[in-house]
Amino acid sequence: MSRREPQFNQQNLYDPTPMPNGIPKVAEIGATSAPLTSAAYFIGDRCKAFNDDYMKCKDESKAGELECLKEGRKVTRCAASVIKDINTHCLQQFNTHWECLENNNHRLWECRKQEMDLNKCVFDKLGLKKTIPGAPENQTPVHLRPKQLYASFPGPQY
Amino acid sequence: MPQDMPPTGGYREVQYKRNVPARGFRPITYLVGMHLFMAYGYYKLFYGIREQNELAREKIWGRLHILPLLQAEEDRDQARRYYADKAREQQLLGSETKIYNSDRFVRPTFGYTPAKAHN
Repeated sequence: MSRREPQFNQQNLYDPTPMPNGIPKVAEIGATSAPLTSAAYFIGDRCKAFNDDYMKCKDESKAGELECLKEGRKVTRCAASVIKDINTHCLQQFNTHWECLENNNHRLWECRKQEMDLNKCVFDKLGLKKTIPGAPENQTPVHLRPKQLYASFPGPQY
Repeated sequence: MPQDMPPTGGYREVQYKRNVPARGFRPITYLVGMHLFMAYGYYKLFYGIREQNELAREKIWGRLHILPLLQAEEDRDQARRYYADKAREQQLLGSETKIYNSDRFVRPTFGYTPAKAHN
């Protein structure tokens, strides 16, 4: 009978050949999803120009995997600088917030208190501000509301 | 032969109604009450959906802000594998075969397995 041992082969398909020398090296961001979610709006605030530039390059070259490497490096360096600055100045608030996100299925509305602390620290130290584009102007932005209808804790969040 | 006739004064009235007292409030009370209850629910739902929309907006913009970062990382990985494949082909065959009639980068369907795969 043709039976064989079940075996995952993802790790076998990993090709460890490094990038050719002609292309400048860049350290990858190395952060997991929760810290990136936590820092997303600050990355968006500081790196908007680089991000837009990169996406424009991708759009104009239809796919741009090989054409937009330069812009991609700028995007990664900028995001890494944001993470580095947050780690330098607001490490404690940042850790508290992303660990809260990690424990709450990445639901931002469960972690408003930690988010307020982080946003305040980041705005004071780095001058980056969280703004949600396209939100209705005649009401409080959702991340600033003390009462979150869907939070597990029913009372005021902060 | 004498015919059967009703008794004098007529038959007794047949009792077909149940003699049970009606329970509860008047029916109109229940109808109005239900509508008030539903109206309150829809009132809360209205604001709930408004907040859901805002939360969805917050989530998608958070994702959009890190999207170029994730895409750039993926692109670099694809480029690295692409150049590695080309170098390998050059080394093994001594030539480069153009598979597609296009200069566009095409994500390869099949990946390369290193020789020392079974370790």
